[in-house]
Amino acid sequence: MPAFAKSPWVIHYDASSCNGCDIETLACLTPLYDAERLGVVNTGNPKHADIFLVTGAVNAQSGDVIRNIYHQLPEPKVVVAVGACAASGGIFRECYNIHGGVDTVVPVDVYVGGCAARPEAIIDGIVRAVQILEVKHKATQAAARGIDKLVYEPALAGDIPEILALQKVTYRSEAEIYGDDSLPAMQQTLAEIEADLAQWTFLKASINGKIVGSIRGRIEGATGYIRRCIVHPYFRGRGIARRLITEMERSFPPQVVRFETLTGHKSRRNLAMCEKLGYRVFKTEEYLPTVQWVHLQKERK
Amino acid sequence: MNPLLRFAIYLILAPLIGGLLAGIDRKLSARLQARQGPPLWQPFYDVRKLWNKENIVVRRSQDFYVFFFLILMVFTGGLFFAGSDLLLVVFALTLAAIFLVLGAYKASSPYSFIGAERELLQMMAYEPMILVTAVGMYLATGSFYVNDIAAHSGVLALRLPGVLLGFLFCLLIKFRKSPFDLSSSHHAHQELVRGILTEFSGSTLAMIEVAHWFENVLLLGWVYLFFAASPAAGIAAALGAFLLVIVVDNACARLTWPTMLKGAWATTLVLGFGNILFLTYF
Repeated sequence: MPAFAKSPWVIHYDASSCNGCDIETLACLTPLYDAERLGVVNTGNPKHADIFLVTGAVNAQSGDVIRNIYHQLPEPKVVVAVGACAASGGIFRECYNIHGGVDTVVPVDVYVGGCAARPEAIIDGIVRAVQILEVKHKATQAAARGIDKLVYEPALAGDIPEILALQKVTYRSEAEIYGDDSLPAMQQTLAEIEADLAQWTFLKASINGKIVGSIRGRIEGATGYIRRCIVHPYFRGRGIARRLITEMERSFPPQVVRFETLTGHKSRRNLAMCEKLGYRVFKTEEYLPTVQWVHLQKERK
Repeated sequence: MNPLLRFAIYLILAPLIGGLLAGIDRKLSARLQARQGPPLWQPFYDVRKLWNKENIVVRRSQDFYVFFFLILMVFTGGLFFAGSDLLLVVFALTLAAIFLVLGAYKASSPYSFIGAERELLQMMAYEPMILVTAVGMYLATGSFYVNDIAAHSGVLALRLPGVLLGFLFCLLIKFRKSPFDLSSSHHAHQELVRGILTEFSGSTLAMIEVAHWFENVLLLGWVYLFFAASPAAGIAAALGAFLLVIVVDNACARLTWPTMLKGAWATTLVLGFGNILFLTYF
């Protein structure tokens, strides 16, 4: 059942109304109309309210107040402009001190017509506002669910420039470990990495369309080679690298019975992670004066 | 019954009964004002909505205090319905209320400051009487344990009529009802009397509301205790006290805090303490 449909709490502000609409707004709460039967509470506190009812046109004094109240309403929120003045300035429209309707200051979701707006119309406006609240709530929830939702999928040619940029950011920390900026991963050019695409399969991990991690793999006989597992520094420690390696292993066909990877001898975090995943060191070789490659392997279970 | 089992039943039923009582309260108040009023389940709708709202805070830590207010309120009721020491219940209840005050102070807004100060004044007003109630029950039954008091053969209200009246007086303050709804009222949303809640929104406000349900169930349970020897009378008395509070709420204007303080202390002294003196010497 919708969460917002049954409990619309309202805050009412008089921008520069002649009080006609205000009186009709308050009339909604009287025994005759009793808006509380719909769960409406007329709060005096924007932090408790869902619906912002504004009556009257906006002038130099009330504009800031409207903005201030609007920003104090917690999300999701809806603005209802009650009466002709709140909609467009009404009969005060051309006055020297009038900016216009409420929508000159904050976004308005529902316009209630009338001069003065009738209580029935105002209640109708609140009911409309409740539906919009529900829509906004759903949109927020959908957005919130999208955040931190990682997608692991094969990278396409179009992703390569972004992956290269990510690689340079990622290997910054490796270069610092070894005190050497000449690491090949740091030096790779776009042409080189695009050439890699012919031999290597790329996987990517992305959040909301932004690539935050990547890995590449290649098959040679019965061995799957896994290289360049990279994760953006802000997104480390969340198991993304481990998941990338697992996904890569899974993507190799069944004839691959052995996985091989390598890392620098001083990259302790990488070594620890690989050992946790079941990789064991079988060979160490000198690669650069500063870096020794540590080769790790693992049998497919 | 096993205390743990009773605690479990309380955990499930207290928010349901508390929320339903709040719904009855709103419906009945509306009818007393010749309005149709919201549905009976309105408080649950409100809490569910608040839970889905954004939570705006002045300081993150203010929510922490409110969380403990809720936890301690649940704990207090748990102690009571599991049959524990009444004195412990009184102290836990005070601690819970203090956490709400601290939360309001933490929010650093003049409105919530005034609300917190008024809440403290209310606590000063009702605390002595609550304590006298616990002592009176001890004198009448020889035990501070809710279990023993509930198992006592005589109807306590007959030996503690003054204490019962004094406790009902406190109930008006504790239920946040007119004429003593100084720190947080169920009506008058635009006024300073909503002060303590000013800076709380979203799920935190929902937690305060739910804590209030637990509190009301505990207090009505306490009214029941006065008539525990005959359960039917006990339930009738608890419901009667609840209705009385609502009618008084709708019939009275708000009084000032000095009147509340003087009234509560005078009641404690004359009805509460007088009753205890009577029990001690006769």
